[in-house]
Amino acid sequence: MPPAPPSTPFATTGRSRKGEPWVWLTAAGLAVGVVMAMALILLILVKGTASFWPRQIELMEVQTGDIVETIAGYITEERQRRDGEGVVHEEIQVFRGNRDLYGEGFKFIDRANIAASTRPGDLLLVERMEYGPAIVRAVAMETPAGRIAAGEPGFEKALNETIERAAEDRTRMLRIERKQIGANSRELTEIDRAERAGRINPETAAARRAMLQEEFTRLQSQAQAIREKLNLSRFIAEAVDGREIVFPAEKLIHVFPANEAGLMGRLGEMFRRIGTFLTEDPREANTEGGVFPAIFGTVIMTLAMSLFVTPFGVICAIYLREYAKQGQLVRIVRISVNNLAGVPSIVFGVFGLAFFVYTVGGGIDRMLFSDKLPTPTYGTPGILWASLTLALLTLPVVIVATEEALSAVPRGVREAALACGASKWQTIQRVVLPASLPGILTGIILAMARGAGEVAPLMLVGVVKLAPSLPIDDIAPFVHPERKFMHLGFHIYDLGFQSPDAEAAKPMVYATALLLIVVVVTLNLAAIHIRNRLRKRFAASSF
Amino acid sequence: MPDSTPTPDPRRFEVSRATLWFDRLMGWLIRFGGIGVIVAVFGIFYFVGKEVLPLFREANVEPAGEVSGEAAPRVLGMDEWAELPFFYAGGNEVVFSNVATGERSVLPVPGLDEVEITAVSHDPVKQRIALGTADGRIGSFIVNYERKFEDGREPWVAPSITAEPWFALENGSGPVTALGYGDSGSGRVIVAKRGEGPSSTVSVLRLAMKKGLIGKGKLTLAGETDITGQLDSEARIVRASQNGAMVLVATRSGEIDYFLASSDGVTKRQSFAPFENTTPARMDFLFGGVSIIVIAPDGRQEQWSLFRREGEGERLFGMTKQFPTLPQGDLHFAASQRNRSFLTTAGRFLTIRHSTSGVVRWEGEADIDPAAVALDAKGEHFLVAAADGTARKFSIHDPHPEAGWRAFFGKVWYEGGPGPVHQWQSTGGSDDFEPKLSMMPLIFGSLKGTAYALLFSIPVALLAAVFSAAFLPHSVKRVVKPAMEIMSSLPSVVLGFLAGLWLAPILETRVPSVILMIAAVPLSALLLGYIWCRLPIVFRNRFEGGSEWMIVLPFLALAGWLGWALGPVIESWLFVYKDPSTGREIADFRLWWPQATGIPFEQRNSLVLGFMMGFAVIPVIFTIAEDSLSNVPKPLTAAAAALGANRWQVVWTIMLPVAAAGIFSALMIGFGRAVGETMIMVMATGNTPITEWNLFSGMRTLSANIAVELPEAPVGSTHYRALFLGAVVLFAMTFVMNTIAELLRQRLRERNKIV
Repeated sequence: MPPAPPSTPFATTGRSRKGEPWVWLTAAGLAVGVVMAMALILLILVKGTASFWPRQIELMEVQTGDIVETIAGYITEERQRRDGEGVVHEEIQVFRGNRDLYGEGFKFIDRANIAASTRPGDLLLVERMEYGPAIVRAVAMETPAGRIAAGEPGFEKALNETIERAAEDRTRMLRIERKQIGANSRELTEIDRAERAGRINPETAAARRAMLQEEFTRLQSQAQAIREKLNLSRFIAEAVDGREIVFPAEKLIHVFPANEAGLMGRLGEMFRRIGTFLTEDPREANTEGGVFPAIFGTVIMTLAMSLFVTPFGVICAIYLREYAKQGQLVRIVRISVNNLAGVPSIVFGVFGLAFFVYTVGGGIDRMLFSDKLPTPTYGTPGILWASLTLALLTLPVVIVATEEALSAVPRGVREAALACGASKWQTIQRVVLPASLPGILTGIILAMARGAGEVAPLMLVGVVKLAPSLPIDDIAPFVHPERKFMHLGFHIYDLGFQSPDAEAAKPMVYATALLLIVVVVTLNLAAIHIRNRLRKRFAASSF
Repeated sequence: MPDSTPTPDPRRFEVSRATLWFDRLMGWLIRFGGIGVIVAVFGIFYFVGKEVLPLFREANVEPAGEVSGEAAPRVLGMDEWAELPFFYAGGNEVVFSNVATGERSVLPVPGLDEVEITAVSHDPVKQRIALGTADGRIGSFIVNYERKFEDGREPWVAPSITAEPWFALENGSGPVTALGYGDSGSGRVIVAKRGEGPSSTVSVLRLAMKKGLIGKGKLTLAGETDITGQLDSEARIVRASQNGAMVLVATRSGEIDYFLASSDGVTKRQSFAPFENTTPARMDFLFGGVSIIVIAPDGRQEQWSLFRREGEGERLFGMTKQFPTLPQGDLHFAASQRNRSFLTTAGRFLTIRHSTSGVVRWEGEADIDPAAVALDAKGEHFLVAAADGTARKFSIHDPHPEAGWRAFFGKVWYEGGPGPVHQWQSTGGSDDFEPKLSMMPLIFGSLKGTAYALLFSIPVALLAAVFSAAFLPHSVKRVVKPAMEIMSSLPSVVLGFLAGLWLAPILETRVPSVILMIAAVPLSALLLGYIWCRLPIVFRNRFEGGSEWMIVLPFLALAGWLGWALGPVIESWLFVYKDPSTGREIADFRLWWPQATGIPFEQRNSLVLGFMMGFAVIPVIFTIAEDSLSNVPKPLTAAAAALGANRWQVVWTIMLPVAAAGIFSALMIGFGRAVGETMIMVMATGNTPITEWNLFSGMRTLSANIAVELPEAPVGSTHYRALFLGAVVLFAMTFVMNTIAELLRQRLRERNKIV
């Protein structure tokens, strides 16, 4: 029977033996490469998702020497440790929470020392504003209406109502403290400046100041009133070693019965945690809460960057491809632009710092904000300079992609347009640009993907670990291009390497890494998709 | 019949004016924009270069006024703002002379009436003038300057004088003829010579400062030591270091004796002779009190520093630098109080030199014969005074004296080191810290990181590229190639954090496993290929060509797992660490490595880095190499196959040689990517600037160095500009590499067109 017609240059896996092992070695190379890429994404996916998954709490009796200790917590890691004598110990790392009681949230336990281990249903995981999560047993709820012991009817209702009210009241207090008191103090500084500049006379300033001071006191007492009323409710619980912990309602965020919850309950909890992660501000030195400001900063910075890079990149590419005389000089320029894509990103950061921040920013300060000097306004790293720096960094990507797309437009199409009487610009505008739009879009998306994942230059031109306010908010003039901002990539670096409690920060790091990778990979996939469609279109329309 | 057809518009073939205008406008706009962008992009080089250039500029010295003290200046001093220099002629008054107005004022020094001053010494840091008298007493006074502000007046400098108590020398007789004074804060060390000729004596006086709870402390005599017996001949120059820890005595025979002063007494540590049998004409301490500058009567100028020699426990003086020979003439010397610059005059010849790099910063001439010189505290001005009291003020503009080609790229003998080295240490704990700004350890670190990254990435990427280009079916390639491209877009901060926090702790304990895996994986593939081609052809025909990489996967996994599992076995067999004190044997590679090789083992090492950098570098090399291999003209490969070459022969003899230039350019671009990588380097290398190729230690790369230090560096400082220089070096490395790669690729493309 004759063999099937070959579909690839080498249909069978080789009839000749000579050199065949080398072919297999190259196959191994590809396998290693692909497996590495997949494994890494899988690792981040698994670790990132796992950081949201609510785990069961183990209650363990740990015997060290003569001392028996009761420890409740969930296992975060297993490892082997070799001691000074070369004996291998199987150890587990347990997150026991209650940092206010034990000082440290994590503890390594030798498996050999665990006398008993159970998963009692009454253990609760309590999220709170301070000291990280707590693992406790419920004792009672104290409300203005009276005390309800755990297990009595109405206990759960009272607890849930308190948590809900706490969330509402915290928002109200935040609004008063951050927004209204913030506006108050901004006005105060404004008056100080105006008085120094001689724009208002001292009497008016003093009167205005007294008024503001009065309003400040009123707002403060308002917030205090809410707080006091809220804290009439308290959740009383005890740790597994019997010590009592009192949670004032103000500090209470969420209570989750970690061992009682079924699959649906766990899934629900996981989605709640993902929601919190995406929408809330960070707490506790960024190790808890969410990453909303970092997401916001990344998005705004990337959008601003594409806003800068798109027109300039496209115009430059049109010039190089359609207008410039194709000679040696353009060839050199093209090679240099290509090479810029390979220049280390940190070099762009260095340039951004010297040129944008100190030269341009410093110049703006001297011209427009000289009354605030020596405190710099624009002469300090900020989101505007960061996005400009990244725009420069990604400019070659856009130029190269646009040039390629322009050159892929068939000659016949252009000539047809010119033959119909269109001017050069009309040809470009009506024929060439629409045809190359997908290619340009691919370039822009690739630039955005590169920009979103870049961290090194940002460290020099505007990223911070904790920004007190967002670059766009509801305070006039609403857009604040001079502000510093948070960034997902820098958040990973900061949490992983500069966090005071690196162990507690790990889940956040993995979750943030997952988020960043999802963003970058999605952008890339979109670019690849558009590119593939573009190929098909040109394959059909080529003359 | 009337003509019903309208006459055609004669202008029907003309283009509308508006269209033409718009066309022209857009043409200009795009030209302007395009050229503007290109110029702006190249402006980057200009701006980064502009920050670096001042590092290589020489010092600029300008005359900045004249002043007269109308007395022979035995001591000349200047305030921080270089406004009000003082002249002290050795009497009972100090003359202050304003440079701007020429106004002179005289302040009396208390307790100096009817005292004959026979020796003086000056400490410019504290502005202390120490005095020795004809009857063997020693005292001192301090010139204080204070900046005063008052409404409606320019700020001015007001001088005052504080005198300190007198102490009488017990040993020797005759007038004090030479004096050195050091102040450690808690005590004073004074070295004094009495008398002249062979009968002269040298003693060291130690004073203790008893600090009361309130008010100023009280000076008391702690002891006097006669060191005459420990000198081989008559003392000529005596010096005490500014911090009061050391005493140096240069004798007539040319020997310098080094004494250490402590609260217990004075002990002689060393004798050395810089100029054989000639007494140095001058001997002065530099800023920091670790080095001295000695000048021979014939003008040779050398720096001697304290350092610990190889195998010795004590820091002793040794010659570290020689400066260009000075012309003949009267020698004067002033050391900067800010860095390691110093001013020397020889006759009318003036020169500023810097001790770290050993270079001459400036040379010039004075129009008077200097009898005294003074440098201000900021190192921005100096004053040269003639014997008749006339003085010239000069301003120095030398913001980066410690910079220069030699400081950045050559070996420099830093103070305290046993020899010239390449070293990067930009900040230190104290004010007198000597910055060490050699680029070489950083360049080395970048190259080391790149080398280890490429060592792992090149084989994987090239093998994968060959397989993908030569054997992989198109349908699979459409998926595999984008997958690899996505890998290249993984943010490096994620890779870095995985390297530092996840991979490093895992690999730390499993080094033998990793070594085994690295060996097992390729070997298993080769073995599988060897066995495979000996299987019956009927069986092999069931598998379509190009699926080898899928077939090989489980075997690779098996080999990898075996390597991983057998690692500890190998470890307990080969890498056994024997505790030298107890003799116990522990199988632990981490302990064995330092013991066997003498170089350290660190958790964040090149192994971890090389692996993680693979994620960043493999896709880059893969994509470009694959492209150039795929673009090998089909007629060539088809011809080879038709002539009977098997598939590996086609790859080996046709595809690889034809695509060689493209593959080479892929390697270059991979190099560029690895050299400039920042976040992985910051997070996974430990950031220690060492220069050794040890696989199990880290490094500090140019890029990581910039990212870590630039946010902290003061704008415009030498450190700041040195970091910019690092960026320029990095930029140059990658730009050159990329340009070569690009040119190679273009040539290849043209060659392939011909076929």
